[in-house]
Amino acid sequence: MSKFDDRIKRELEQHTDVDVHELKDDIWNEINEELFEGSRTTMKRKKRWIPAILIAAAALVLAFTLQTDPGLALIKGIKDMFVPEKEIIQSIEGQDEPTEVHLNEGKDSEYIIYVDESRYKMIKGEDSDVITTIEPLPEKYPEVSMEIKQYPTDKPETLVKELEEKLKVDFPDLREVETVSEPVEGFWLHGLTESTWDGKVIDVYVISNGKDGSFVITENYFLEAAEGHGARFYHMLQSFEIIE
Amino acid sequence: MQQEKWVRKIRAGDQAAFRQFYEAYAGPAIRTASAITRNREMAKDAVQETFIRVYRQIGSYNPTLPFDPWFYRILTNECLRLLKRESPLSTIETQENDPSLVEESFDQLTELYDIIQALDDTHRIPLILKYIKGFSEKEIADILGMNQNTVKSRLFKGRKRLKEQLEATREEDMS
Repeated sequence: MSKFDDRIKRELEQHTDVDVHELKDDIWNEINEELFEGSRTTMKRKKRWIPAILIAAAALVLAFTLQTDPGLALIKGIKDMFVPEKEIIQSIEGQDEPTEVHLNEGKDSEYIIYVDESRYKMIKGEDSDVITTIEPLPEKYPEVSMEIKQYPTDKPETLVKELEEKLKVDFPDLREVETVSEPVEGFWLHGLTESTWDGKVIDVYVISNGKDGSFVITENYFLEAAEGHGARFYHMLQSFEIIE
Repeated sequence: MQQEKWVRKIRAGDQAAFRQFYEAYAGPAIRTASAITRNREMAKDAVQETFIRVYRQIGSYNPTLPFDPWFYRILTNECLRLLKRESPLSTIETQENDPSLVEESFDQLTELYDIIQALDDTHRIPLILKYIKGFSEKEIADILGMNQNTVKSRLFKGRKRLKEQLEATREEDMS
């Protein structure tokens, strides 16, 4: 570094030094209040509690009325409790983006998820559902999709080991399995084929289905789209709720 | 690497790890925000919001890419957003190619810091990112969403203008 470079660096440091000393603790106190002790945290918890209460209520109602016609009508009623569309704020590349998302029911109405239908569509299959771009991407781009599949008789712990072995073949740099609480609570596997713009990225979340089985959510995208499609899948998956 | 551990732990909701991360990142983040916004309160808001976003949205960070440009992109965007809100005309885009606006403000400036701060945002912000945090041209290009050659040229022109202004000041003092 030249003397001139040193001088610019020194001047910038000297003139901002006092701000660091004066602001650092204040900023932390505000962050701590906001994230861990303050009102926003309460709101977040409240927001997450609402579906939980609804689901618990739904389970009770179902237990008593599952086999009857009025019972079946009630199931529909419970799903109606989720608003059909809502606006969420998602952060894409560091910028907040208001997005309208639409309620979608999964296969056999086993779960709900809010989908950004301005960009994606949900295709219901026999074994699984796939959320993918409305228009197929040109051929040079790797696959962009989020598959949601239920394994009614396989526990997450068993599945995650099997998946890890399987994924290692295509993703030699597969990271160690992690336990996460966001966007869903469960196990997370993350792999990448190569560090080029079109390197294939895979995120697999394995979560309990609340009984003896699991849901496996597999996100496929590519490195350059990590903060685009990757971030959008993340936000959509945050709205995932198991109904049964 | 320490930073990777922090990211992993923050993802898992570890508050202690987040505090350690804050201790390590707050200083340069405050310096950068203060220099960009030229306003203590605005810098405080920008840094605060940046850390809150990082905590809440760490899941959208791609761990295979370098962390610091991601963090500083959020910080810089937040500073620019606040500046724009305060004065809709003073954004990095609007002052571009309009050096006449800044020529006058160089008058009477003697300290290098003041001369830096009188540069237009187009040249000033890349310089701040380079000298406060030591980012490379590529990293600055990632942070500001620009072409690397554009950053290179702006850093070159920025330094050139600083030198010219310092020399002009020195000549005035000598006469």
